[in-house]
Amino acid sequence: MTKQLTTMMAVLALVGSISAQSKKAEGLTGTWNMGLQGGHVIPVALVLTQDGEALTGVVSMPTQKIGQTVDISLKGTYASAAFTLSGSVEGAKEPTTIEITGKLNEEGMLEGRVVMGGTSGPHGNMPYTAERLKERK
Amino acid sequence: MNALSRRSVLKGMGATVALPFLEAMVPVRRATGAAPAPAPRRLVCIEMVHGSAGSSAIGVKKHLWAPAAIGRDFDLAPTSLRSLEPFRDLLTIVSNTDVDPANPFTAKEIGGDHFRSSAVFLTQAHPKQTQDGDVQAGVSIDQLFAQRFGQDTAIPSMQLCIESVDQAGGCGNGYSCVYTDAISWAAPNRPLPMMRDPRVVFDNLFSVLKAGGTRAERAERLAEDRSILDWLLSSVARLQKTLSPADRSRLADYLEHVREIERRIQIVEARNRSGELRELPAAPAGVPDSFSEHVKLMFDLQALAFASDVTRVFAFKLGRDASNRSYPESGFKGTFHETSHHSGREDKILNFATLNTFHVGLIPYFLEKLNNTPEGDGSVLDNTVLIYGSPMGDSNLHNHKRVPFFIAGRGAGALKGGLHLKAPNATPLANVMLGLLHTLGLEDLERFGDSEGAFELNAV
Repeated sequence: MTKQLTTMMAVLALVGSISAQSKKAEGLTGTWNMGLQGGHVIPVALVLTQDGEALTGVVSMPTQKIGQTVDISLKGTYASAAFTLSGSVEGAKEPTTIEITGKLNEEGMLEGRVVMGGTSGPHGNMPYTAERLKERK
Repeated sequence: MNALSRRSVLKGMGATVALPFLEAMVPVRRATGAAPAPAPRRLVCIEMVHGSAGSSAIGVKKHLWAPAAIGRDFDLAPTSLRSLEPFRDLLTIVSNTDVDPANPFTAKEIGGDHFRSSAVFLTQAHPKQTQDGDVQAGVSIDQLFAQRFGQDTAIPSMQLCIESVDQAGGCGNGYSCVYTDAISWAAPNRPLPMMRDPRVVFDNLFSVLKAGGTRAERAERLAEDRSILDWLLSSVARLQKTLSPADRSRLADYLEHVREIERRIQIVEARNRSGELRELPAAPAGVPDSFSEHVKLMFDLQALAFASDVTRVFAFKLGRDASNRSYPESGFKGTFHETSHHSGREDKILNFATLNTFHVGLIPYFLEKLNNTPEGDGSVLDNTVLIYGSPMGDSNLHNHKRVPFFIAGRGAGALKGGLHLKAPNATPLANVMLGLLHTLGLEDLERFGDSEGAFELNAV
């Protein structure tokens, strides 16, 4: 009985490990639903393309007007399950930058921080988690 | 003695008033020896936006929406449903279901939850992202019911709301305001407009303009504070002569009820036209500033419509996404949108639960009204099913998981009631709605929205 239990646990651990590896193997390419944790969780679209260690993408950040977003192009790198992305807001009143750092966790989700900055100092520094958008037929 | 038809009406120059159920309508069946006609089934679909405190992780643990126990021995005391305790035998609470069609399907749809969700609640279909006229969702549950069972009444279905729905064009994230404002869809491309003004609802119920009355006559009636009943005096007197004492009393009670509701609308209109500062300055004169007064007036109109069998189907939208309205009557003064974004903090979640409890707390008023409206050997409530819920779950996360939902009423014995059913994880709410439609007589319907099968609502 004990042996059976041990075997079953080993199999489950192996299945869990394969599942986590498979999620990691997908890399970062895809559409991610980011939840920026400000006063409440703000949903933000992050679309990434991974080519080896090189990353490119677009993040659609909400503006001060409810229901409107601005697309910001991003470039960055991905290594050892951690990544950094940066970009700047086109046409902003003052130079505004965005930096997204994070890692791909065991559940296949992204987690990290988003920092917005400008010439007058940081505009915001928020943690986030991001879930890959479900594939639809 | 000639029997009175169920379709008989009282007619005056500017109004038509349908009759309540009277004993004089029964002999038609008795005389012909035909089997009694089945009781008319009625459906009321109520949507509240922004989910519930009980859909958050802390709210689930504290049973702020769904009770702890599954089956019949559930305790409503910790939940936002506690005001429904006197009606617990009529309740079928279904917890742990999801509304996946309200989720974003593409990158461009991310962030649009507030502008998309209401179109999903009764359709369980994913809306097309557009700000133009090519809107697309699905046929809503109330309309499927009305298309099958609402064709024998003067009005197949009615759509009511509490908040402003007057915005045109796009509301946000590329979505037409129609998706935010309409919950009832007659076809995937045909959202039905909602009525916010109790005066408009009243006039629709009693065909004030259609029955020979002109706009000038209506304006005259409004200006003089006259009642539609003034136009029906001779018609009422003629009918009274043919009725039994019991029916005369029923008719008098009913007409008094019509008059009482009309009087309340007139009081609201007079107050709102007096020049006093209004809380809702942009709202029509017939709309009370008080949320509960408005909701109760709308419930009274629905009860009246059922009593006179003018319609058997209502869709009723209690809120509007991202509304910053406050509900001081609840005991908490914070605004709705901000309170619903509780940051996952327990104290804020409890504040949101206070608002949820207040909203649900208005439902017993309606159930009591229906229970006090006689029909056959029972009441209108016996033949009515009400659903209440939201297309959102945890509004702080803008997700659509563990959405709040319950059914009240047995629908002429179709539902056992007195049950809390917990669905397996990831069960679509559409399964529950399909199960309900089957139970109510649409057994031939194979799918509804993103349903994967019909949820059994009478299982213990």
